[in-house]
Amino acid sequence: MSNNNIGAPRYCAATLLRARLARRSPWRRLWGGAVLQPEYDVVIVGAGGHGLSTAFHLARDHRVGRIAVLEKDRVGYGNVGRNTTVVRSNYLLPENHYFYEDSLRRWETLSTDLNFNVMYSPRGVLDLATSDDDMTRLARRGNAMRLAGIDAELLTLGELDRFCPELNPTASRRFGIVGALLQRRGGTARHDAVAWGYARAAAAHGVEIIERCEVTGLEVAAGRAVGVHTSAGYVRAGRIVFATAGHTARIGTLLGASLPLETHLLQALVTEPVKPILNTVMVYMYPGHGETYIAQSDRGGLVMGGHLDGFPSYTREGHWDRLQDVVAGAVELLPQIGGLKILRSWAGTNDMTMDGSPIMDRLMYDNVFLNAGWCYGGFKAIPASGAAFARFVADGCAPDLIRPFRLSRFESGHLLDEPGAGPFPVRQ
Amino acid sequence: MSAPHERQGTRLAPGSLRFSFNGRALTARSGDTVASALLANDIRLVGRSVKTRRRRGILTAGPEEPNALVTVGSGREVIPNIPATQLIVTEGMQVRSQNTWPSPGFDVASVLQLGGGLFSAGFYYKTFFWPSWHAYEPLIRRLAGLGAAPRASNLPSPAVEHFACDTLIAGGGPAGLLAARTAARAGAHVVLCEREPFLGGELEFEPATLEGLPAGQWIGGMIGELRRLKVRLLTDTTVVSNDGDRYVAHSEPGGLPGRNSVYHIRARRFVVAMGAVERPMVFAANDLPGTLLLGAAERYLTRYGVRVGLNAVIGANHNRVYPAALRLSAAGMRIRMIVDSRGEASISDAATRDFREKLIRSGVECLTAHSIVAAKGRTEVRGAEIRAIAGSDPGRTVDCDCILTSGGWTPVLHAADQGGGQKSYSDSLGAFVPDNQPPDRVCIGAARGSFELAALCNEVVRTFARDPESAEAVSVSGGDPTPQWLPFWMPEAARSREKLEFVDFQNDVTVADLRVAVEEGYTDIEHAKRFTALGFGTDQGRLGGTTGAAILAHLQERPLREVGASRLRAPYQPVTMRSVAELRSGNRLRATRVTPLHDWHVEHGAVMESTGLWKRPRCYDPKGAGLAEAALKEAKRVREHGGIADASTLGKIEICGPDAASFLDYVYLTKASTIAVGRSRYAVNLREDGMVLDDGLILRLSSDRFRLTTSTSHAEHMLSHFEFWRATAWANAAVAITDVSEAWSVIAIAGPKSREALARSVDAESAMKVAALRHMEFASVTCRGIAMDILRATFSGELGFEIHCPPDAALSVWSGLIGDGWQPYGLDAMDTLRIEKGYLTHAEISGQVTPYDLGLHSQLARDGDFIGRELLSRPAFHEPDRPRLVGLRTRDKGARLNGGAQIVLASRRSESRGYVTSSAFSPALGEWVALGLVSRTIAEGQEVVASDPLRGTQTVVRVSPCVHFDPSGTRMRS
Amino acid sequence: MSHIRCPFCGDRALREFEFRKTLPGSAATPLQSVYFRQDHPQVSVEHWQHQSGCRSWLLIVRNPSTGSILRTDLLPEFPT
Repeated sequence: MSNNNIGAPRYCAATLLRARLARRSPWRRLWGGAVLQPEYDVVIVGAGGHGLSTAFHLARDHRVGRIAVLEKDRVGYGNVGRNTTVVRSNYLLPENHYFYEDSLRRWETLSTDLNFNVMYSPRGVLDLATSDDDMTRLARRGNAMRLAGIDAELLTLGELDRFCPELNPTASRRFGIVGALLQRRGGTARHDAVAWGYARAAAAHGVEIIERCEVTGLEVAAGRAVGVHTSAGYVRAGRIVFATAGHTARIGTLLGASLPLETHLLQALVTEPVKPILNTVMVYMYPGHGETYIAQSDRGGLVMGGHLDGFPSYTREGHWDRLQDVVAGAVELLPQIGGLKILRSWAGTNDMTMDGSPIMDRLMYDNVFLNAGWCYGGFKAIPASGAAFARFVADGCAPDLIRPFRLSRFESGHLLDEPGAGPFPVRQ
Repeated sequence: MSAPHERQGTRLAPGSLRFSFNGRALTARSGDTVASALLANDIRLVGRSVKTRRRRGILTAGPEEPNALVTVGSGREVIPNIPATQLIVTEGMQVRSQNTWPSPGFDVASVLQLGGGLFSAGFYYKTFFWPSWHAYEPLIRRLAGLGAAPRASNLPSPAVEHFACDTLIAGGGPAGLLAARTAARAGAHVVLCEREPFLGGELEFEPATLEGLPAGQWIGGMIGELRRLKVRLLTDTTVVSNDGDRYVAHSEPGGLPGRNSVYHIRARRFVVAMGAVERPMVFAANDLPGTLLLGAAERYLTRYGVRVGLNAVIGANHNRVYPAALRLSAAGMRIRMIVDSRGEASISDAATRDFREKLIRSGVECLTAHSIVAAKGRTEVRGAEIRAIAGSDPGRTVDCDCILTSGGWTPVLHAADQGGGQKSYSDSLGAFVPDNQPPDRVCIGAARGSFELAALCNEVVRTFARDPESAEAVSVSGGDPTPQWLPFWMPEAARSREKLEFVDFQNDVTVADLRVAVEEGYTDIEHAKRFTALGFGTDQGRLGGTTGAAILAHLQERPLREVGASRLRAPYQPVTMRSVAELRSGNRLRATRVTPLHDWHVEHGAVMESTGLWKRPRCYDPKGAGLAEAALKEAKRVREHGGIADASTLGKIEICGPDAASFLDYVYLTKASTIAVGRSRYAVNLREDGMVLDDGLILRLSSDRFRLTTSTSHAEHMLSHFEFWRATAWANAAVAITDVSEAWSVIAIAGPKSREALARSVDAESAMKVAALRHMEFASVTCRGIAMDILRATFSGELGFEIHCPPDAALSVWSGLIGDGWQPYGLDAMDTLRIEKGYLTHAEISGQVTPYDLGLHSQLARDGDFIGRELLSRPAFHEPDRPRLVGLRTRDKGARLNGGAQIVLASRRSESRGYVTSSAFSPALGEWVALGLVSRTIAEGQEVVASDPLRGTQTVVRVSPCVHFDPSGTRMRS
Repeated sequence: MSHIRCPFCGDRALREFEFRKTLPGSAATPLQSVYFRQDHPQVSVEHWQHQSGCRSWLLIVRNPSTGSILRTDLLPEFPT
């Protein structure tokens, strides 16, 4: 096995100084260079956040020997590098908030755990309320979080004004703001850094990351999966993990499995960079299917998103109508940014489940594992998902943290429908 | 470098203007951009770079400008990051530098430059671990971010126009103009958008003769011809996005938002003629003020009569550099040297050789196989270091005050890279070009990699002519030779210089950064881009994207096509948020729906609130008292005396036809077929997954006709829901669905004397009918001759009626009742009355509750199929700790109960056993009452805690029946 | 994809239409018909409504990888 970033330096100020002064650059490639072997103990399909995080934990925590991550494109080219980088654990349902809180705790130490600054920025996530009913709903959620020991605060208009004066919460708006739910530990992280950081850390623990290697089929013998066919040839595998986010439906087609999923597109956009103007993450949902969430990146650009485009899409090209509505909501919220320019929009494909919560389970065979259905919320889940899923794959027994996310919940009725939208992803 | 009044330029108009730059008063000519005016005033230092705070001047003369971004305005309402090259000076305009304090000449944060190589690409990822990134963030954020953050903005909505055409052309250079003329002559309705305020593109500088006319005259004639052909010409306008056959174009005259327009254009054919962007060359300190694009120097000269320097060294890799140098020289600039990176043999074209000879004769040193390796000078260009590309030339320095470079051109691919289009790498151009475009898109001219004027003109004519065979050829003579550049990406230089070789100026990305990227394995363009921020700037990689990819490839000795080009995205040019939002803002963010009584409510002091898109009265005339007190008073008054409320926002749907009853039996949980004509029933329906969807009333108007009411917030969805089932499972049934929400206004009247009041208001022959109505019965009556329905049903638990009347009669019915002494009550009071009575408010129907949870067991005992039935048997819905709807009463009568409080056992306060769905202070009972969804394991009468840590209360509550007030219902049945 | 051709109203802007769901591959059981979807990158069979128009329900076959509409049919509307 080729441990492919041996000799890579630890990231710290001293190494930076050495890089500045040394004749020879100390930097080494973070991952890659491995050649596909004919057999692995675990093959993970998909080098996104979840696949890499699972690989890292399998190698570091469970000492699984031979692990390969097969990626049809390159590390982090999927949703982990296309999202709006929000991390939070402000969920209503206990199954969700315990899971995401486990993740948020891991975010708090992730940079040192990976020795890669993922720029976790706990600047607070604000859910704005436009009616008393909204406030009641937010209070229900916030109180549920508080029972579970998760930080949450309900802000009155006055408190909101003090926390986020740039919002000018009492300004006249079509749907005026009446208060907000705040999770201070929520915030943002640098999305690409998460993919790279996990890839580097996994590679350092011997995980082989094989890029431009597409899985094309599953080989089954005697009721067990025994390997995968790939664009680079056949690979025997003891256990196989699918963590392919927006491409889960393709995996379903590949395996002949019908899944409770629809693939939708979610857009995001960013403005030109400006000096600090917004120090928190704001989520503004209003009647008439309106939604805009907005944060300012450390680079200075205002990053925004909203609802799904509203119909299935694999194009990664958003519809202008939706972008317009997201921008209209942003300008309504913060009229002062009306003169800023939009530089770029992009989109990710989201595997939307029928209750809006993910699926972490076996699929069809005892040794095939599916980590999917992250809808538009997969980024913040990466640390917990990888740790818990690695345990699942290693032990064969799902830890309590992820057991509620089993596939059979649709049949049994143990749904995890956070907004109560029912089996209609576009309303999730 | 000439006094304003002396300058001659195609863009200048008579008259001068005053403006200020960093507080210094300056004079410009009318028509000047800020960039041209600054250059004319001998100001080269415009700002500082964002990461290393290096001095920066003006590089380009177009929207790609990476350095000279300025902030316009003063005080709170500033607009940052405007390219000085696009910004037209207006009288009194206040312009400021960015990324600099106190001034661009003396910048405190320029100490960052001392950090040098420490701040190489990715250094953020490698440090700031202790104590946490968040601790450093405020400082780092302040240093980042280009221009100042505006604190206010009062931009108007743009003008928005929708139209359709046959052919939409993006770009008004020679290719676009010819395409427009040819297509229009062939009968097409053509629209042409040009980013610049003037048409003609590169012809503005090229002394070509087209169709026998000098370029300038040819453009003039062309514009006249296009106007005659009814081609719509939109200047200052850029196509920014494309969804299928719908295109969005934005116009921002003067480079500053304020008079913007937005066009939505449907077109059968889209022609991409967006041209190409000249590439700056890479060498050490290539960002020093005084380093410009060669094309920019020509533009400043032709358009504004500004010479960007007096002693120039020109670096290039193509033929066009020679005629351009001659033109600059003719205008009085001294060309010290031309450094062509190509070998002597590459200059084979006769015309180019002639131009070169002329230059040499006039004393210009023309080197081949050499390149500029460094710009010299501390604060601005003082010289250029030149070296032979091959061999071990020690190099020499040539004194100059400006360095002009031109490294070839990159086709503008933004439009071609979207909507299913692809791109491929062209070795000869050293650039990506459009490939595999969708059938309705044509790329022409420089945008598709054609740089030879005569060839591209004739190609365009053949493409757009009705009959390509007989298309008349366009004669082109003179003009510049075809550029024929040989890609030259960077000089070989010492590693130490790489950190001064800028590839992306705005993000301070250097060759050294790309080298770190390669060393760490960010070897493809997409990885390297994200790692170094190459191409993330306001030009979105137009200037340095291809060069960056090429250097990345060069550093790993891979072909450029493998390294790839990153996907270009909409918008194709940066667009102002306010314009993108179009008309949607303030009251136009969403439509506003009002009832026929809206004006009355407002006139009578109602506090209105939004429910969905509706405006509804919460309470009336609170005056000094708070909302809560006003609502309390109203609720109390209803119980004591009665009141009237506007319930017109309820959804109303009529279902009729022979199969109407059986259809309703299917779409509702509640059986409708057993309702007698003239009676109504409270009804609930379920979603496909068995969850409760909505509740309302079903009125049976006749054996085959029903009227349903839905909740206000679900009205639109319920209509679609019914229509869906009508169109699918009930496709062959005789049933019709009509939305009558707007056909009926609903006024609710409640109180012991409501029957008499109604009997008084209706016409005499109807009075008996009203008097005889039993609970849930309705009758058609007339009131002042107008037909309406009166239903005896209650929102409040009082004896009550709903008046369903035509909207235009609503005000007179309402005013009649007011005149009769009735007082209005608002929604807050209605909620209070409902909670007292245990009626569902919408808070209980959360989409997460089953009919079992809401205690609708009796309805579930029905026969026949209905939506949601099969999935209701899932085991989770029958587990012992499923919630059920209960009432909640406080142990301490003075305690408050908040909606959203969680229900916990006093012994296990961390585990939720339910929550308070809705609560109100009951004026009738003198205490807080609530409804909640609480685990079935908690028995009625048991004490639990309503835990509301958010608002700091823990209230002991007793689980009670839902109905808090008048449990026997005697009042409503009276 | 910016417009949908409604069989009644003709070519209309996308924003007039509302997508409901992708149909399941097989709807043998209620569970399948409610929760499962035939999510195929090239062919998606969907229910849409011309909500801000004639309100007809449509069966639309699209290619979600390109956005192109392959077929638009009216759902059965009248007794046959």
